[in-house]
Amino acid sequence: MADAAVARSRSYARRERRRRLGPLSVLTHAALMVWTVLVVVPIVWTFLASVKSEDEIFGDAWSLPATVRLDNWARAWEQANVGQYMINSVIVVACSTFGTMLLGSMAAYVLARYPFRGSRAIYLLFVSGLAFPVYLALTPLFFVVQNMGGVPVIGPFIGLNTHGGLILVYIAYSLPFTVFFLAAFFRTLPGAVAEAAFVDGASHTRVFFQVMLPMARPGIISVTVFNILGQWNQYQLPLVLLTSVKDKWVLTQGIAEISADAGYDADWAALFAALSMAILPMLVVYVIFQSQIQKGLTAGALK
Amino acid sequence: MTPLSRRELLRSAVLAGLALPVASACATPAGDGGTSSAPAAGATSAANPLGLAENRPLEIWIFDGGFGDAYATDIHEPLLKAKYPKLEIKHNATQEIAKTLQPRFAGGNPPEFINNSGANAMDFGALVQDGQLADLTPLYDAPSWDDPTVKVRDTIDPSAIELGSYDGTPYVLNYVNTVWGIWYSQKLFDDNGWRPPRTWEAFTALCEEIKKAGETAPFTYAGRHPYYIYEAILTLAAKIGGKDVLKNIDNLEEGAWTAEPVKQAAGAFAEIGAKYLMQGTAGLDHVQTQTAQNKGQVAMLPCGSWLENEQKDTTPEDFGYAMFALPSFTSSDAMPYGTLHVQPGEEYVVSAKSANPRAGMEYMRAMLSKDGAGDFMELVSTLTVVKGAGEGRTLKPGLKSAAKALLVAGDNAVWFLFRKWYAELHDEVAAASGQLMNGKLTVDEWAERAQKKAESIKNDSSVKKFKR
Amino acid sequence: MRFAVGFLVLPVTLYVIYVIAPYAQAFSIALTNWRGVNASPRFVGLENFRRLLEDTVFWKAVGHNLLLLVLLPVLTLVIALFFAFLLNAGGRGGAGGVWGSRFYRVVFFFPQVLAIAVIAVLFQQVFRPDRSGMLNAPLIAMGFEPIGFLSDTDIALWSILGVLVWQAVGFYVVLFSAGIASIPRELFEAAAIDGAGGPPMFFRITLPLLWDTIQVGWVYLGIIALDVFAIVWVMTPEQGGPDYSTTVMAAEIYRNAFEYSKFGYASAMGVVLFFFTIGFAALALRLSRRERIEF
Repeated sequence: MADAAVARSRSYARRERRRRLGPLSVLTHAALMVWTVLVVVPIVWTFLASVKSEDEIFGDAWSLPATVRLDNWARAWEQANVGQYMINSVIVVACSTFGTMLLGSMAAYVLARYPFRGSRAIYLLFVSGLAFPVYLALTPLFFVVQNMGGVPVIGPFIGLNTHGGLILVYIAYSLPFTVFFLAAFFRTLPGAVAEAAFVDGASHTRVFFQVMLPMARPGIISVTVFNILGQWNQYQLPLVLLTSVKDKWVLTQGIAEISADAGYDADWAALFAALSMAILPMLVVYVIFQSQIQKGLTAGALK
Repeated sequence: MTPLSRRELLRSAVLAGLALPVASACATPAGDGGTSSAPAAGATSAANPLGLAENRPLEIWIFDGGFGDAYATDIHEPLLKAKYPKLEIKHNATQEIAKTLQPRFAGGNPPEFINNSGANAMDFGALVQDGQLADLTPLYDAPSWDDPTVKVRDTIDPSAIELGSYDGTPYVLNYVNTVWGIWYSQKLFDDNGWRPPRTWEAFTALCEEIKKAGETAPFTYAGRHPYYIYEAILTLAAKIGGKDVLKNIDNLEEGAWTAEPVKQAAGAFAEIGAKYLMQGTAGLDHVQTQTAQNKGQVAMLPCGSWLENEQKDTTPEDFGYAMFALPSFTSSDAMPYGTLHVQPGEEYVVSAKSANPRAGMEYMRAMLSKDGAGDFMELVSTLTVVKGAGEGRTLKPGLKSAAKALLVAGDNAVWFLFRKWYAELHDEVAAASGQLMNGKLTVDEWAERAQKKAESIKNDSSVKKFKR
Repeated sequence: MRFAVGFLVLPVTLYVIYVIAPYAQAFSIALTNWRGVNASPRFVGLENFRRLLEDTVFWKAVGHNLLLLVLLPVLTLVIALFFAFLLNAGGRGGAGGVWGSRFYRVVFFFPQVLAIAVIAVLFQQVFRPDRSGMLNAPLIAMGFEPIGFLSDTDIALWSILGVLVWQAVGFYVVLFSAGIASIPRELFEAAAIDGAGGPPMFFRITLPLLWDTIQVGWVYLGIIALDVFAIVWVMTPEQGGPDYSTTVMAAEIYRNAFEYSKFGYASAMGVVLFFFTIGFAALALRLSRRERIEF
């Protein structure tokens, strides 16, 4: 979307607003504010509880903290390992999203633009994965990953309780969506530029990385955003595949465990602090990149 | 997304869905996970009667619940380490035993020593059936830590061995002796002139009095974990109808749950649930209800003797934990006043397929020493199965009260085992009991649901059955 | 050709090992009474499926999934369309939308960037039944009985639905807003000349032109509804309770496999879930075919 268009529509909107600030507009904003409150209040409430004392948390939910207790945050950070979990999540999601996009776009590109005998079957194999419930595969998947741990040399890096293993599984389970989506995208790209490159003597690989991939950028961004969100949210797969080594856990596991912990240790303040720590960076990152994220999402989905 | 491609997606998903079952006919389950053969014991000697292998590490997993895990790191592990300095001990603790360790068992590389406790404990029945647990007979036949002329089995409460046995083979060490009862604050009771009731009438009268006073709710339980209430129901049922009531339940006998004493007990507590429960009980967990008691919001709750320790951070100085046994339902109860639910518990196991099972057993031997058990009692404030471990130790008021109740009960101790044997039955009874207390199930519906589940387990050929 | 193979070999290998093989195995495990690695699985034919027919808890779970399958998309899409409509003033505002629409879009999207497990823990606190629960505190202060959002069997599932909708709406608001913004302004202007106001314009222009996007949303949300797990597992008492009033197929599969070690039985449940998903996909396909004007 060109900036000029945005600017134009902004000025248009401004004119529009001046023209009619009638009762309808008030109602519109009232309705929008209701949902805003619904979204924001639980989050703000969590932040507030994170600086309350234990007594205040057990007291009236809407009371304000008498003093701001940052020691809750320190406790959550040290004891609950939130920092470690977050770093783990970032590592896993960064690697797996990169891997997903690389492998997914390669497969999608070939399947979309180089038809050969059986290519359609492979395409269907990938796409059919979209409809499989992951819960069906859970048990056998556990044993597959465990057996991979026995592979010579690389085994120790991709077995159970390794980030490598989890990353490979994330990639594999993100491929159906990625391939399906990107294949559709690659099909729509014009072939002229690629042909010109071939005439210049470029290899297929080079054409892919230097011509086609850049051309597919809107689609790539949009799928990347989807994959990051999806993999960041994963709870089920790490629950099964990363169980026994706490220091490798991802954030979702960590938060769920802290919630179970609070049942025994009764450190509710630290629970809220940990929750806030899990929420805050995501919101900050999102707010910084929100326009790219929203554009990316809609560019793909509306195509 | 173009309409065409979306349709394509759906169609191919359907096609693949039909093709897959056919393809899978060729595949087989992973089957035997390729576990290495269980390592034999090392050389035994008088100093090392179980033949622990010092060159292999000992991996320990402690359930980080009411007892915490300091007792392992500060008492038992140093005890073993002092004897075997070369042994490497890998200590771990978690709240979620099953979630954390089940996959390791399934994967054939389980840790040596596990404290399989808590709400998320692994299903013992399945572990035994799967051959995952080491037979502890060598441990019980070994000389005790303190006196080589006395066997380990003679230094502990025999019920601990019995309760840890499956079809006569001891697989599980029950280390802690737990007694259940109704807990209250001595101070609150003294201040108001309330007295622990001995009959059900007196109990409901007390509830009524507390309710009228209006300051405190009479009764609560951990609503999110209805085990806490069905425990009380079953104990009362045994008191009304005798020990066989629970035995029949454990043995999945026909009509065990619909028996009159069970229904009477359920009805009695359902009435408490309808009239005297603290507001919001159904949505609160054990810590929330127990904290409410510490804050004087509720007078009584059913719990086990770990309570005092679990609440140590929120209990006011002068709270004065104390407990009483379930009141007599009628004067014709089969068992006398003072009958207690006593259960050696806090289960410890050694996994048969771990790399160093004998080290796990040796660790247990250290736990069962006088020092190991005595220090444990003082640290976590609970009873143990080791005879006389509390001698000469100073105990907190709640523990003192529990020890006294245990003494009064004598042989009138009852227990049930289906919770460990059939996790499914436990889940079903817990779910139904919560609804019984909320008034959403009648006593008959409650009993029938439990009975139905018991029968379905009985008919499930894949579940191994146990008898007591 | 060599290039094509080179590009495909890694993704396909990975996919076959980690996705296809486990799924294929699951079907055969469903025909055994497998309870653990060392107990060798015994073939029991359709025994697990026969037992499944009598398993009231599982059918309860199926019922909950189906309820969510209907209500989650309907509620989410209706609410999202409503807000998207408001944000864009029925489309008349063009790409800019009403004043502050950018702010609203950003805020509405917040729940989408939070992990579901985090949301589950957060709402567990919001829903607490005592004075310290965000929603119950004002109720109690006003002298009402607290609502057992998660502890009342008649309410708990609605609380789950509420949280799911809470999370999903923002995404579709953004999606639909972009959709409305991409509708050529002349269409709205023409309608305005014809004298159409806000709501009629919405039904005559906006809705039909967004129909494709709405269908995509319906399919996504349907799949989410069939796959609900973390929110139930982390947030509810008795993990799917109280008294199984919030349990879903995925939770029963997990419970039976990883808590009762009934791997065979759990796989049978997985197979049923699989056919539900396929069935849903087939249904979606049929419906969308009937209504589409091919081009």
